[in-house]
Amino acid sequence: MTKRWIGASVVALTLLALPAFVQAQDSGAAETITDGEAARVQPIAFPHTIHAGVDQIDCQYCHFSAERSVDAGIPPVGTCFGCHQIIGGTDERQQAEIQKVRDYWANQEPIPWVRIYKVADHVHFPHMRHIAAQIDCATCHGNVEEMTVIEEVNQPLAMGWCVSCHVERGASRDCAVCHY
Amino acid sequence: MTDGLKRRDFLKVVGATGAGAGVWGCSTENVERLLPYVVPPEDITPGVATWYTTVCGECEAGCGMWVRTREGRVVKVEGNPEHPVSRGSLCSRGHSSLQALYNPDRFTGPMLRQGGELQPISWEDAEQMVADRLGSAGEYYLFGGIAGPSLAALMSTFAGATGGQVVRYHPLAEAPLREASRIVFGRDVVPWYDLEEARVLVSFGADFLESWLSPVRDGRGFARMSGVDDAGSKGHFTFVGSRLSLTGQNADEWLPIQPGSEALVALAMANVVADGGASAGPYRNIVAAYTPENVASATGVEADSIRELAERFAEGPSLALGPGIGGLHRGATAANVAVAILNAVAGNVGRTLHYDSPQLDAPSEGFAPMERAIEAMRGGQVGAVLVHASNPVYALPASSGFREAFASVPFKVSFASAMDETAAEADLILPDRHFLESWGDASSRPGQWTVRQPAMRPVPHFDSKQTGDVLLSVATRMGQDLGSETFFDHLRGRWADLATSAGVADADAFWHESLRTGVVQVGTTPSGASETLRQPDRGLVFDPPAFDGPGDLHLMVYPSARYGDGALNANRPWLQELPDPVSKITWHSWVEMHPNRAEALGLRNGDVVELSTEHGSVEVPVWTYPGIREDVIAVPMGGGHTSAGRFADGNGVNALDLLPSEAESLSGGLVQFVTKVVVTPTGRRRHLASIAGSDVQSNRPITPAVALAGLGAEAAGAEDEDHGPLKELQGVGGFVPVETGGRPEDFPLEGARHGEYGDEEEPRWAMTIDLDKCTGCSACVTACQAENNVPWVGEGQVTMGRDMMWIRLERYYEAVDASHAGPLDVRFLPMICQHCGNAPCEPVCPVFATYHTPDGINTQIYNRCVGTRYCANNCPYKVRVFNWYTFTDEEPVREGLGHIPEPLNWQLNPDVTVRENGVMEKCSFCIHRIRARQDRAAVEGSTIADGEIIPACQQSCPAEAIVFGNIRDSGSRVAQSSRHERAYRVLDELVNTQPAVTYLKKVTFHEVDSGEH
Repeated sequence: MTKRWIGASVVALTLLALPAFVQAQDSGAAETITDGEAARVQPIAFPHTIHAGVDQIDCQYCHFSAERSVDAGIPPVGTCFGCHQIIGGTDERQQAEIQKVRDYWANQEPIPWVRIYKVADHVHFPHMRHIAAQIDCATCHGNVEEMTVIEEVNQPLAMGWCVSCHVERGASRDCAVCHY
Repeated sequence: MTDGLKRRDFLKVVGATGAGAGVWGCSTENVERLLPYVVPPEDITPGVATWYTTVCGECEAGCGMWVRTREGRVVKVEGNPEHPVSRGSLCSRGHSSLQALYNPDRFTGPMLRQGGELQPISWEDAEQMVADRLGSAGEYYLFGGIAGPSLAALMSTFAGATGGQVVRYHPLAEAPLREASRIVFGRDVVPWYDLEEARVLVSFGADFLESWLSPVRDGRGFARMSGVDDAGSKGHFTFVGSRLSLTGQNADEWLPIQPGSEALVALAMANVVADGGASAGPYRNIVAAYTPENVASATGVEADSIRELAERFAEGPSLALGPGIGGLHRGATAANVAVAILNAVAGNVGRTLHYDSPQLDAPSEGFAPMERAIEAMRGGQVGAVLVHASNPVYALPASSGFREAFASVPFKVSFASAMDETAAEADLILPDRHFLESWGDASSRPGQWTVRQPAMRPVPHFDSKQTGDVLLSVATRMGQDLGSETFFDHLRGRWADLATSAGVADADAFWHESLRTGVVQVGTTPSGASETLRQPDRGLVFDPPAFDGPGDLHLMVYPSARYGDGALNANRPWLQELPDPVSKITWHSWVEMHPNRAEALGLRNGDVVELSTEHGSVEVPVWTYPGIREDVIAVPMGGGHTSAGRFADGNGVNALDLLPSEAESLSGGLVQFVTKVVVTPTGRRRHLASIAGSDVQSNRPITPAVALAGLGAEAAGAEDEDHGPLKELQGVGGFVPVETGGRPEDFPLEGARHGEYGDEEEPRWAMTIDLDKCTGCSACVTACQAENNVPWVGEGQVTMGRDMMWIRLERYYEAVDASHAGPLDVRFLPMICQHCGNAPCEPVCPVFATYHTPDGINTQIYNRCVGTRYCANNCPYKVRVFNWYTFTDEEPVREGLGHIPEPLNWQLNPDVTVRENGVMEKCSFCIHRIRARQDRAAVEGSTIADGEIIPACQQSCPAEAIVFGNIRDSGSRVAQSSRHERAYRVLDELVNTQPAVTYLKKVTFHEVDSGEH
């Protein structure tokens, strides 16, 4: 009884999944920028190469709550403007982008950053514990100082990838460390 | 599984389909935006909770609160441990106040009725309109409810300056109690009761654990009094009344008296205590006349029972409470006088109850002022009415004619924040803020002040304004200067005066300290002095009053343990679906009837009957209940709403429709236990939406008890296998690690085997629940629901047994007999996941979604769960609940199903995963609180002390019945209490589950079967 039930489920699930694969291949073949990709363009071309690379600003200067909270924190517009009321950029392109920051500040509006990193809702990832364990930000987020456009490395942020690190470092492999 | 298909292969296929779906779903809709603050608020760190102190506004008790906010929105309320009333606990109603804050049916802004429809209006126009209309109204009324001293003072000033009258009406008002205090002691107050100080407690129908005066304060006091202490001593509680309320069910003895005969029992007790009345001062002759023998036939209680009770009472320290709802009859004041005399002759005044430091803010204005207001409205003399924090159309018996009189007033203003029956008749709506968005204060005792501060900005969906600010603005428009520009200024001014009276020079520092701690004590504590008995200045008749109507069935309409009167708080799914602590019924109304009476009428559970009195009739299903006299039937308040919102309307009946509107002659209080009722079967039946399984234990040792005399018989070393320390965790579940690169295929099934747990360095989380303290109040149930995003499912699903509470408060009758006075034994047991060391749910899960964590928690991994429900089938405790639908979407999957419409979803706890359909869930021991504390410990390098991790149920429990901690630490409270001689584990000896939850047996005064097998 059990055997037949599970077998039937597998067949059903596989059939359901077929259109999904087809669809996925179609969208992968497209070369023009789709609506989806356009929506993924950041509102300001923020270069981590300059901030984290050239200027060597500490990650936590902007991502201010990483060592005391589950959330790393996205810098308030005030933090951006704190520097950029003085720093206006050296070339035209920079100046245009920095002007956007100044405009957001002048309008007192949040910058609608596109979210790059997201673990699933059923995963709890406390940043502060990983900082406390001396895990370098780059371990998960890659060398952002070399990224002009921030992109997800270690993609996907899948469980096996998390667990491998936990195994290597002797951290807990228990499910309920992250899932509850 | 099978040779052909291994578990892992099955998972891989399922996993692959999931991945495909993920790519397919990649579109613009999936782009998430991260919106940073423009300027970060000082007190908010993303991901970290910020707490504020405030005071609960649900009832007049004034419990101090701690409010938990995340990213600027309130997600949970808890008791303030430093507050002398709540002492860290909160009731279900307090918890559910969040659902009033985020009530999707709140008014979106001020509204004016034009052509029968409510249309938006600006605040300026609305306030100007009120000013104009009040200016020309001549006489007007301001009906008020719970306000707090500063707002009440402002209302009085406002009314005084603008020619209005303030009337505060509450159906549960203790007007007779106050009048009796005045008659007997010359003090026009509601006394302060100190249950904790008593050893012998007698309640004359006062439901102090659920609806009477201050349930959280009294819940704690009662549990401390009645819970057995280390010396083996236990306070004794007798309930005197015609119906067992939740409070009654907690008694050790029940005197099921004739309706209306409380005064006789109290006087007969006083007769014995005062040695025939000799020490009863001016009441000497009265007390002398009522000997136990004289009252036996009128009360239905044998003289010996009264004598025995009185002798125990005389030993003291004792306390008599009430009368409660059963005493709200035509002799209510006399009954209160009798109880006051009893307390006086037993020497309790100044010891267990205090008249010189009374309870303030208690609802104590009677019906009489409202009766005059109705008369004036009916007479056309009233030009306008303002209604604040009350719902008189619902909360007054229909026979009062309030609705019609109110409708005849030319200009009616409601300050209701959401629609209710009174606002539905109003011309202008000026929505007030919820108390969690408001400034204010409370003072539940002289000198004891609590400040109310907004814990969040007003919920942006609703354009609301504090009524205090509206009144000040209207006054200004009327050319009156009330001394403050805003209500906040008014409040600060009063608190500056308070600082001065406290002898504090720096008023600002005083204010800020008050905000921080949430409570200040100004002035003295009660003197402890006794009071002098005074000659009564009113004619008192102690004999049982007449009941109207034919037949022999007395109708008791009692305040619901969930809602109280239910006038303003019914539109909350948490309360609607909370099983009533007595009947275990959710959502709808019922009538309680003794099984013998039901049998005589040919009725069964669920038969719909018509109840009719000369004032009205309602149709309601029967629920048979042995805890009620055969000549009494009872219906709870709180149902039958017509305009209270989507969750309340249409559920049950408003039993007040059956009552006359009559003020008691001495106190002016509304008489409520006054009429008889005719029961007519309709021939129809309905499902009771009840979560009750069985009322009896069928000889299973689920809630065994132990007699007080038998305590200490088992020597400490005599622990047998079943009741001794927990065994180490069994070797079930879990994997031994293998060297791997971390990819899923690197975890081969062949390389895995079941591993052992039991790492001594890990904590092992465990809980003990003291059933001698648990009162069944169900505060834990709602606290758990609020904390863990537990959905409500709707009445239809409850009738199918699909309720989803993680805590089920089981209730078993052992000895309940309404025919004569005698021992009473009702057992309560909060049933949660037992976190078994040898859990039957674990081996049957095909996907390892449930297993044991190394720290002893039987955990449920939602993302692994595929919903086979094998685990629930195999659980002997029936604590696993299944998401048959997604109950957390904004729209219900189907009509009547649980859902969380915006902005109700603002309440969801971000620390706990929100579950979808197809997933099993159950108590997690609040694992997110454990992990949060462990995270903090890891960051700070600190250690976790015993008692630092408190699950939501323990946090909320007024009775302090729950202890949680690491049982491997032999010095921890949980380890100590689990070694107690009363300790047992439910069904463990039958099914060897090795639960991590240990219960402590209830202690009885009578001999019991200990439940040993």
